Amino acid sequence: MFSRWNWVACGFYLVLNICSPDASSGLVQSCGHIIPESPVLPLGSNFTALCILNESCLDFGNIYANQIIWKIKNRVVPKEQYHEVNKTVSSVTFNDTSSLATPLTCNIVADGQIEQNIYGITVTVGLPPEKPKNLSCIVHQVSRLTYHMTCTWDPGRHTYLDTQFRLRYSWPEDIFPDCIPKDVNNSCTVHDVHFFVNTEIWVEAANALGKAESDPLVLDPVDIVKPLPPQNVSVMSTVLPTVLALSWENWISHTVIKLKFNIRYRIVGDRNWMEVPSEDTASQRTSFSVQGLRPYTEYVFSIRCMKEDGVGYWSDWSEEKTGITTEDIPSKGPPIWRIIDTSHSPASWIVHLLWKALKPFEANGVILQYEVTVRDKSSLSSSLKKYNVTSTNHTLQLPNATYEVTVIARNSAGASPPSALLIPASYSKAPVKNLRTLPKHDKLWVGWTAPNSYVVKYVIEWCLVSSCSDCIIEWQIAPGDVQGIDLKGIKPFKCYLITVYPLYADGQGSGQSVKAYLKQDRPSKGPIVQTKKVGKAEAVLTWNHLTVDEQNGFIRNYTIIYKTIDGNETVVTVDPSKTEYTLSPLTSDTLYTVRMMASTDNGSRSGPDFTFTTQKFGKGEIEAIVVPVCLAFLLIVLLGVLFCFNKRDLIKKHIWPIVPDPSKSNIAQWSPQVPAKHNFNSKDQMYPEGSFTDVSVVEIEADDKKSFSEQDLKPFDLLKKEKSTSEGHSSGIGGSSCMSSPRQSVSDSDEGETTQNTSSTVQYSTVVLNGYRDQTPVQVFSRSESTQPLLDSEERSEDHAGGADSAAQRQQYFRQNGGQDETNTDRPCFERAKQITHANEGDLVGFVQLQISGQSSQPLGLGMEKNTQEAALSNVLQTSTEGQTVRPETVEENRLSVDEMPKSYLPQTVRQGGYMPQ
Amino acid sequence: MAAADSPSAALRRRDLCSRGIRLAGKMRVDVIDLLDAYVERQGLDVSSLDSSVAAVEGVPLAAVERWDEQTGTQRLLENLAAYRAFRALLAQMLEEQREQLGEADAGLGRALASVLLQVSAFAYHLEELLRLESRGVPGEEEEEEGEEEEDRPPPPPRLSIFEQKLRGLGVLRELAQWAVRSARDLRQLSKPSPATGTASGLAESP
Repeated sequence: MFSRWNWVACGFYLVLNICSPDASSGLVQSCGHIIPESPVLPLGSNFTALCILNESCLDFGNIYANQIIWKIKNRVVPKEQYHEVNKTVSSVTFNDTSSLATPLTCNIVADGQIEQNIYGITVTVGLPPEKPKNLSCIVHQVSRLTYHMTCTWDPGRHTYLDTQFRLRYSWPEDIFPDCIPKDVNNSCTVHDVHFFVNTEIWVEAANALGKAESDPLVLDPVDIVKPLPPQNVSVMSTVLPTVLALSWENWISHTVIKLKFNIRYRIVGDRNWMEVPSEDTASQRTSFSVQGLRPYTEYVFSIRCMKEDGVGYWSDWSEEKTGITTEDIPSKGPPIWRIIDTSHSPASWIVHLLWKALKPFEANGVILQYEVTVRDKSSLSSSLKKYNVTSTNHTLQLPNATYEVTVIARNSAGASPPSALLIPASYSKAPVKNLRTLPKHDKLWVGWTAPNSYVVKYVIEWCLVSSCSDCIIEWQIAPGDVQGIDLKGIKPFKCYLITVYPLYADGQGSGQSVKAYLKQDRPSKGPIVQTKKVGKAEAVLTWNHLTVDEQNGFIRNYTIIYKTIDGNETVVTVDPSKTEYTLSPLTSDTLYTVRMMASTDNGSRSGPDFTFTTQKFGKGEIEAIVVPVCLAFLLIVLLGVLFCFNKRDLIKKHIWPIVPDPSKSNIAQWSPQVPAKHNFNSKDQMYPEGSFTDVSVVEIEADDKKSFSEQDLKPFDLLKKEKSTSEGHSSGIGGSSCMSSPRQSVSDSDEGETTQNTSSTVQYSTVVLNGYRDQTPVQVFSRSESTQPLLDSEERSEDHAGGADSAAQRQQYFRQNGGQDETNTDRPCFERAKQITHANEGDLVGFVQLQISGQSSQPLGLGMEKNTQEAALSNVLQTSTEGQTVRPETVEENRLSVDEMPKSYLPQTVRQGGYMPQ
Repeated sequence: MAAADSPSAALRRRDLCSRGIRLAGKMRVDVIDLLDAYVERQGLDVSSLDSSVAAVEGVPLAAVERWDEQTGTQRLLENLAAYRAFRALLAQMLEEQREQLGEADAGLGRALASVLLQVSAFAYHLEELLRLESRGVPGEEEEEEGEEEEDRPPPPPRLSIFEQKLRGLGVLRELAQWAVRSARDLRQLSKPSPATGTASGLAESP
């Protein structure tokens, strides 16, 4: 029981010890402590620490040294490193301090395995400072009287400790305040520097583990001065065009430090500096005249200085100052050349004189004007003309002759030597030979072989050949002793025309030209090919040359690639001078794709594909087939016609069987009422109107022309009218009085589809016999094979019974036929009627009568002009009010004669050569 | 004597002379600059004060008759005495200037301190040369004690501020003249003159 309370008290005591912030000096005493207290240890050394327990704790809590546990941070140190010195002291030893860490604690395990901390220390591990090395100093001049000395050194390895560096310097009898670097450990600047006394300078490094000093540096600070550069530098031109005078101020009094100088200069725009020889400026000075400069050239100057004896440092370069030299006379005349235009007139030239502006180092000033002198060397008078020009060209119109042209450039300082050019009347001298070019990087070398005679100089002309712009000539003069020059500013992939003229002392050689490229490329586009002519087995291709701008080089050849649709490709190489090529042999009626490629030395470019199809037949093949076929056809037709003609009777018999013509029946001859056959001129006469109302006559015409008389015409008209009014009786009997097709008959009858259809399908279907007067007509239907026109006498009788409509239709019919040529289907009939009328003058009367019965007065006019007899008739008619009742006498006579006919004979069909009574 | 004859000693002597000449030149430049600043800062009218500035007590006059007849040692000793006096006077001036102006005019104080350092350095050069001449360097206390024994001057009276300014002006003017003379003296010493110069000088020296 006592023991338990004892341990509780002990634990409480230990806790108090631990919780106390200042156990050693606080209210509660610590149970122990560690020696040494917060050591700083060299890295890698061995270290032993002792934990000493207080006697009071031994008595109170039975705590002994053998219960001590050492810990680094929270890691227990192996027991092997412990050593129990006595019952209150325990030591721990570390062979290498690099294994140490903070904190190192001394702990104790009391009864009940309660671990309590007794004490802890902070262990600092590091390295002593190394000896600073490589100490060096420089004195910077800050102002006229102020100098700062900056010393730098190598601080050595990292110490892991707070290490102080200080720069120390002293005179033999005086020690100056130390210079302590701020923020760095390898340099320090001293602000109080005194010259001409040897000063000892060294660096001292110190930390908790030691101190080290650098080797001392003994020097006079004046020997390490870097002065300020000269100030207020000014550059002044002098009367001499090659001299500029410099002046400046020095920051250091020459009584203190004597200086020497460097002067450098360059032309404005040039990056390369030139320097005045150092021996010329090796002494103290504040001015210098720089000689050997170019006239009228702007120079940039800069100066630096250092101690005269060369011990120390050069200052920085001073600020740059510029100055310009005065003008001098131009050193040479401008290069001159000419372009002669002879196209103006054969007797005179237009001479464009060209000269180049002098380069700045040649002009030596501002060129104010050029003085051009032209001397005619051909004439004895040797006339001289002078021109003052401000530009670099001048154009003159001169007669063909030899001239000497001189040009002088003038500036404010004077005139240049003249440059002369001889313009001969003819180029009688030898030209250069073997003109050639060779690209050299970005320049184009032009070379030639000199003529045998002495050449003063050469003129090289060149221009860019372009289809878009004119050839603008550039030129350059080369001395007579060279045989090649480099042309600059030549663009790649452009064609240049280069011409070289040799200039002799007494004449000029003709120019030799060559085309050249600085660099070639493949053409920018390919040629566009098309066909000029396509045949069965060949095709003629044409194309245009690429423009010079598109070529990008010399076209070496064209390549034509053509293939059929199944891929058989053929390649043809064509000379570049050609613009046409014939592809042969080709397959007929085949689609070809052709592509053309232009090639330079550096590649090729294809144009667009072009397709064409070869023809199926060659030239003349179609004609050779068609013409014989046509001829054969014509021959067959001709033979057929001849055959038909020969066999016409046989054919006719099969096609048109013989139908008896009632009108030519013999029975008519024996009828006593029938007038004589030879008087039977017209049907009107034969069958007056109204007398055939009960008689139907079918007139079947044979091949006799006689049947196309008025006998045909009149009944047709009547028949037509009857069809309109009494369809039931006509019963499809259509027809025409013409020898026309059944279709023609249909068009005659404007009304009645049924009739038309019937008549169109049945050639002659029915012969209708109306009953005579009170007799019941007996309709007999019999099919006829005849195509003869039907008689329309019965329709005409119906017209009379029908009334005014029929009359009006008839009137229209006559107006159409009498007034103008109608395209009516009736027209042939009418024409035929007219022919007949003309053929037989006697029939005309009857015809006019028919017109009158149609109540038409207009057609009558024509008839009256022809015949006064007819006029008289018309007068009679005009007095009549009803045409149907008033009839001319002649008609009356016919009527009478016709009226007698029904009494005397039966209806009959007249047919020459046969009559069949019914 | 043996030291003076050795080549290294001759080289050292020449180096000291050369350096001393340039130091004297720089000192003169700095002193002249300092004079301008001093007159300006102290509010002195130089033209009206020319007659008032008397010779500085305790400083040998730079101007001396028969200068060219002096021996080397004599020159060195006179120079050393003068620069030791200047060192003391300049230190006193610096102290007075700090008392009067405090840190308000640090530039003038720095210039004074710089001149003081140069005077001190020049005195060191002179001592070294005297050592090379195998001539003992007189101690400052010895000189003072000797003087004290022979003719102890009365303690300097307390000067007014204006008098301090005038004395300072006189010190700087005299120092500027001594800088010129010292350069000439050292140039004379650095000449490769026959042994007479050194030997006789040393012989003649007290």
